[in-house]
Amino acid sequence: MGGGDGPLNAPRWLGWAWAIPAAFLAAFLVYPVIVLGARVGLGDGWSGLTAASTWQVAGLAAVQALASTILALVVGIPMANVVSRYRYRGRALAQAMVTVPFVLPTVVVALAFRSLLGSGVPQGFALVVVAHAYVNLAVVARIVGAQWAQHDDRYENVARTLGATRWQAFVTVTLPGLRGAIASSAAVVFVFSFTSLGIVLLLGDSTTRTLESQILRQTSVLLDFPGAAATAVIQLVLVTGVLLAGAMAGRRSPRRTMRPVALRPVPAGLSGIVVRVAVATTVIIVIAPVAALLLDSLRAGGAWSTAWWSAMGSVDAGTTRIGSPLGALGMSLGYALVTAVIASIVGGLAAVAVLSRGRARVVALLAIAPLGVSAATLGLGTLLAFGRGPIDLRGTGLLVPIAHALVAVPLVVAVVAPALRATDSRRLAVAASLGARPTRAFVTAYGSVLRVVMLASAALAGAVSLGEFGAASFLARAGNPTVPVQIVRLLSRPGEESYGVAAALAVVLVALTLALVLLVDRFGMSALQRSARTA
Amino acid sequence: MTPRLAADDLVIGHGSTVIAAGISFEVMPREIVAVVGPSGSGKSTLLATLAGVIPALSGRVLVDGADVTQVPIHHRGIGMIFQEPLLFPHLDVTDNVAYGLRRQGMSRAEANERAATLLQWLGLAGYERTSVDQLSGGQAQRVALARALAPRPAVLLLDEPFSALDADLRRRLVIEVSEALRHEGTAAIHVTHDLAEAAAMADRVITVPEAPESGPSALGRPAPPA
Repeated sequence: MGGGDGPLNAPRWLGWAWAIPAAFLAAFLVYPVIVLGARVGLGDGWSGLTAASTWQVAGLAAVQALASTILALVVGIPMANVVSRYRYRGRALAQAMVTVPFVLPTVVVALAFRSLLGSGVPQGFALVVVAHAYVNLAVVARIVGAQWAQHDDRYENVARTLGATRWQAFVTVTLPGLRGAIASSAAVVFVFSFTSLGIVLLLGDSTTRTLESQILRQTSVLLDFPGAAATAVIQLVLVTGVLLAGAMAGRRSPRRTMRPVALRPVPAGLSGIVVRVAVATTVIIVIAPVAALLLDSLRAGGAWSTAWWSAMGSVDAGTTRIGSPLGALGMSLGYALVTAVIASIVGGLAAVAVLSRGRARVVALLAIAPLGVSAATLGLGTLLAFGRGPIDLRGTGLLVPIAHALVAVPLVVAVVAPALRATDSRRLAVAASLGARPTRAFVTAYGSVLRVVMLASAALAGAVSLGEFGAASFLARAGNPTVPVQIVRLLSRPGEESYGVAAALAVVLVALTLALVLLVDRFGMSALQRSARTA
Repeated sequence: MTPRLAADDLVIGHGSTVIAAGISFEVMPREIVAVVGPSGSGKSTLLATLAGVIPALSGRVLVDGADVTQVPIHHRGIGMIFQEPLLFPHLDVTDNVAYGLRRQGMSRAEANERAATLLQWLGLAGYERTSVDQLSGGQAQRVALARALAPRPAVLLLDEPFSALDADLRRRLVIEVSEALRHEGTAAIHVTHDLAEAAAMADRVITVPEAPESGPSALGRPAPPA
C-alpha cells in the first residue's frame, strides 16, 4: 500500500501516507531524544551517567519492579485461568473488570489505595508494590490468558496418564507452555513498575524512588537538566534491554499443538468451588480500591456529605489557589480532544503503513517506539527541545497534547492495524473493476472500517491523555494543571478538604476513562468482528 | 484368570448427557482388543472414561480386579495415546519418553536407560536428544508409543493413533505397535473406525453398530428412560 508496493489499485497518494507520521515522529520523538543525548554529551551529563546516586536509585527501582512483577504474576496467573478458560454467567463482565485497573490513571490508583488502606498502612515499598501489581494485573491476565485459552488440555491428560499429579502436570507441562506469555507479560510489568511515577510519588518513600521520579526531582528541584538527561538515557537503555530480553524469551517458547478450544464448563466439586472463589476474589480485588475512593469522596468529617463535590468549582478547593478542580477538568478535556485528533491521524496513517512493505514499514516500527520511552523522558525531551528557543512551543498549549499523542500513537496502531489487516483487500479490486477510481475504491474498501476504528482509537487516545501524569508533570503550565497534576498537588497539601476534593476529582476521572474505554471496546471490537466476517 | 481391565455396567457421557450405557467387557492380560465403530458412537468417550479423564456416570472400571472408578488418573496405571502424538514440546525425545518414569521416582539415569532401550526397539536410536518438533509424523507417534509404554501401564488405550498418518505409514506402524505391545506384554484397547486396521492388530474385535438416529450410542445397551 505504501511506497507503491502495496495492493494494486491503491490510490497514489496513499503511497506517501507514511510521510506524515514519519515527520511527526522525527520532530517530536527522535529530535527530543537527540536533544536529550546532546545534553548528556555537551554538559556535565557524562558524570551523571556514572553518578552513584543514579545507579543506587536504579537498583532500588529494579528491586521494587521485580517484587511488583512477582506479585502481579502470582495474582494475575490464576486470574488469567478463570477469566479466559471457563464458561460461566458474567464471564465477559469479569474479563472487562480485570482490564479496569490498567486503564485507570496511576494517580487515581495511588489515591484509591490510600482510600482503601487508610493511614494505618505506612507509605513505602509494600504499598507501592501492591499498587503496581494491581495496575498490571490486566497485563498478566490478558497476555497469559490469551495463550492459556488456546492451550490443549490433552497435554495435561497425557501427563496424568503417565503418573503426574494435577500439580505436577501443571508445573511440568502447563507452565512451560505458558513460558513465553509469562516472560512477555513479566517484561512489560517490570518496565511499567520500573518507570512508574504517579504511584511512587503518592505512595512511596525514600526507598521506593524510580529513575522517573529522579528525573522529575533533578529538573524541578535541583534544576540539573544535564543530570536529568543522563538519568533518562540510563533508563532508556535499561528499559530497552528488558523489553528485548522479554521478546527473546517469548520467541524461544516451544511451539505446541494449538487448536480452537471451547470454553470449559466450571468443573464440579472442589475444583468448581475454587474457580468460583477465584472469580469472586478477582472482582473484589478490582472493585475494592475504586469503591473506597468513591466512599471517601462522599465522607466529610465522619459523615455522609457532598461537600467535596460542591467544592469542585471553587478556586479555594484544597487551598491550591491554582485554579479550580473543574478548571483542571476543562483543561484535561481540551488536551484529550487535541490528543485524540493528533494521535488518531498520526497513528491511523502509521497503521496503514503497517500493511505495506519497505520504508513505510520502518515508520510503523518507529510509531511503536514510544512504548519503550517513559513518559517523563518524553516530557523532559519535549521540554528541552521545544520549551525554549529556537523553537518555543510553550505558548501554543500544544506541548502536552503532543507528548500525550506520542504515548497514545502505539495504542492507536494496535487498534487500527488489526482491523485493516482483517479487511479483505480484494474489495479494492472489486470496486475498481466496477469502475471506481483509486481513491473512491479505497474509500469503498476500507472507509466503513476506518470510520469506526478511528473513532475507537480517538477515544482510546483521549483516555490516555486524561490519565497521563508523567509527561504532563513536566509540560503542564503552573496555572493550568491537568486533572492528574491537580490531584497530586491537592494531595501534597494537608487537610481533609484537599484529600476529599482530590477523591471526587479522581472519581470523575475514573468515570470518564471507563466511558471512553467502553466506547473503544464496543466500536473497536465490532469493527474487527465485522471485518473478519466479511473478509 | 483375573482380567487386566474390566468395565462393569458402565454408563458414559458428558455431564447429564448419556452417550452409552450398560457397557461391560473384559480385557485379559497381554490381550489386544479393538473397538471399531463410526464417529460419534462414543468410542473416544469410553477410553477417556476408562483412563479417568472424564468421570463415569455410573458403573465400575476394574484394573486387575480392583475398582479404580474413583481413583485419580495418575494412580490408575492406564496409559493413553491420542490421535496426535501430543509430545511435550519443551522436552526432547528422551525426556518425553522418560517423563512417566521420573514421575514414578526413577532416577534420571535409570529412566534415560529405559527410554534408550525403547527408542532403540522402535527404530529411533540416534534421536535421543532430538527436539520433538524435528520429528516426522510417524517418528513422533513412535515416541508417543515409547512414552506411553515406558512406565509399564497395566493397560494401554489407543485412541485412533494412526488416523492422521498416510496409508503406507499407517500400515507399517500398525505392525510395529502391535509388535511393541506384545514385546512389552501390555494389554491394550485400540479404538479405530478402520476394520482392516483393527483386524491386523487385535486378538479380538468389538464392533459398535451405527448409533440409532436418536437416543444413545449403540456401544452399550440403550440407556434406561430418564
